[in-house]
Amino acid sequence: MSSQGNFGGGERGIGRPGGRPGGGGSGGRGAGGGAGKDGGGKRYFFRRRKVCKFCADKIDYVDYKDIKLISQFVPERGKILPRRMFGTCAGHQRKLTEAVNRARHIALLPYAAD
Amino acid sequence: MSDRTYEILFIADPNLGEPEVDALAAQVQGFVEKDGGKLQKMEKWGKKRLAYDVRRHREGYYVLLVAEGSGAMVKEVERRIKVTDGIIRYLTVRVDEELRKAERRKAKRALGEEKRRGRGGSQPARDAEVQQ
Repeated sequence: MSSQGNFGGGERGIGRPGGRPGGGGSGGRGAGGGAGKDGGGKRYFFRRRKVCKFCADKIDYVDYKDIKLISQFVPERGKILPRRMFGTCAGHQRKLTEAVNRARHIALLPYAAD
Repeated sequence: MSDRTYEILFIADPNLGEPEVDALAAQVQGFVEKDGGKLQKMEKWGKKRLAYDVRRHREGYYVLLVAEGSGAMVKEVERRIKVTDGIIRYLTVRVDEELRKAERRKAKRALGEEKRRGRGGSQPARDAEVQQ
């Protein structure tokens, strides 16, 4: 828990998948407070969401027509949120990507915004 | 070959009137039925804004058809859609396999929940990890 080298800068800490599961949350919190204002704040925001939203909501089929659901994972720029940001599990992330690409083809979602 | 379920979603030219879009939808339905397909559902979503320009249109009429049929049917339907004026974009997706899988997962989960309730211990909502 405490052996995480968290001084490499706030940005890098977010991306480390190893820091997420288990007791990483509390350890990260302490380190985040010491490291810096901006990076630390971001860090716990993303740490909190550890469970895949699709698993939690029991969504088995990611429908490309359900833009309301999909657009939660596609910010304004039109890029798909990476897994490390939202904590989606591998299987659901793959399904999400498929659905987003379908929705893009049929002009429900943009390929790239502005 | 057993029949498969497909979703055919197409975007019609926004300059067409409501009756013309209906005619177009009926035409596509005709394509499906001509090649041994069976229409299960037709949904008109109406005029919607497109996320980006398609053939210089900013809007389009969305029409969704759900049909049962063979792969050959889809091939023919797609070919016909391509040569039909007034359809600016289409998408065909096979859905039966995915929906069946989703159904199975749901059933499995229900089973797991029952088992857990039988045991008396209530577990947190990590049902996705229940085995068998």
